[in-house]
Amino acid sequence: MVEPLQLQTATWALTTALELALFVLFVRRKLGRNYPAFFAYLVSVILQSLTVAALYRTPNLTKLTIWLIAWGTQGVVVLMRSLAIAELTRSVLRRYIGIWALARRLLVGVAVAVLAYDLALSKGDWQWMILNGIRGLELAMAAVIVTMLLFARYYRVPVNQLQRALAVGLCLYSAFYVINYSVLERIVQQYAVLWNFLGMFAFIASLLVWTSAASRFVKSEEAAVPPALPAELYGKLSSEVNSRLILLNRHLIQFLHVEDRSR
Amino acid sequence: MSLPIILLVLFTLLLVGLLAWALRAPSHANRPDLDVFDALRQSRHSARMSHVLQALQPEDTEYLRETGQIALMQTLRQQRRRIALRYLDHLQEEFEMLLEISRVLAVMSPEVVGMEEIERWKLSVAFAATCAFLRWRLRLGLQPFSGFTLLSNMAADIARKLDAATTRIAEAAVRGSKHPALGNENIDGQ
Repeated sequence: MVEPLQLQTATWALTTALELALFVLFVRRKLGRNYPAFFAYLVSVILQSLTVAALYRTPNLTKLTIWLIAWGTQGVVVLMRSLAIAELTRSVLRRYIGIWALARRLLVGVAVAVLAYDLALSKGDWQWMILNGIRGLELAMAAVIVTMLLFARYYRVPVNQLQRALAVGLCLYSAFYVINYSVLERIVQQYAVLWNFLGMFAFIASLLVWTSAASRFVKSEEAAVPPALPAELYGKLSSEVNSRLILLNRHLIQFLHVEDRSR
Repeated sequence: MSLPIILLVLFTLLLVGLLAWALRAPSHANRPDLDVFDALRQSRHSARMSHVLQALQPEDTEYLRETGQIALMQTLRQQRRRIALRYLDHLQEEFEMLLEISRVLAVMSPEVVGMEEIERWKLSVAFAATCAFLRWRLRLGLQPFSGFTLLSNMAADIARKLDAATTRIAEAAVRGSKHPALGNENIDGQ
């Protein structure tokens, strides 16, 4: 029977191999030019794997030192992932100036609200605040990705396969992290191995989604951006469209009330 | 597990659900070729509603009841219900077309007014809910015949207001379409 530690080491090796494969794919297909922040995130993940592996093989290091370095690198990775998400959101929406301006404000608002809620759960305890802060960041990232995709869907903004894959991988990993951390929060000590193991599997799934999309990525012409409309004209047309919508809605509600009276 | 943590987990699961929903193929086909100005100039179903409602006066069926032609009265009422349902379909089509126009406008605009977008979103939710409720009531055999008379009068009033609003849109649209330069710059050259 395979020992849990052996299984975890094998999973770790598989994760690193997949990270390297994705790195090579990004370099060969020159995708790093289009998504430099995501590429930097990928590099940071690989470096983190190497650092942690080196740490465990270095003698005479205290547990505290290892813990500090491990969580320090994790902080860098989370920061790089945040930047990758910001870049992804920008790459999807930036060509639509008005929508991007509105989305930017909304996305920042969503991220701050989610992070604040999560930090509030720490009740001022700084130790929990750090761990909850990371969970809050993960949740905020998932919320930002979903909001961006909902925005794109509502306004029919095209999202290519690679962008979708990057969004799905990043969002699912963050969502899994939050659920894993929250559910196992109270019993983390007993199930630390399982916790790490499941986290690795979630990341492997994300890596597979990204690798699959990157290998199939075909650079195509970007969809044409519609001609710009003067802000003043948009203002007039938009408010008139709204007044027509309001009238239609009122029409319908009156229809409903008339039927009530007719009963 | 405390309630705030449960809420957090539920919110995360909701996000995963929304992610799946957002990645689905759109139910309505994209309309990249939609010409906003043409669409705004198109005739509207709601404007013809006063005529439709005029044909749904309750006196007809009441007369049939008095003369004992119950079967014919029921047939007529079924037909009227179908007309009312079709009217709702047309209203919804018109509403969705306006929403589509507003999306195209937002995509084209260098500045999107958040409050108007939110108001539109709220309106679309309210409209869809009311429409579904009305359809459900009509299919269950609601008899809104006496109400149609009053509605007819109201519809005339609303159609007048709609006409005024549409005229203003058309004026704005014509002014907009007169601007020559289309491209990455604003069409008035700003």
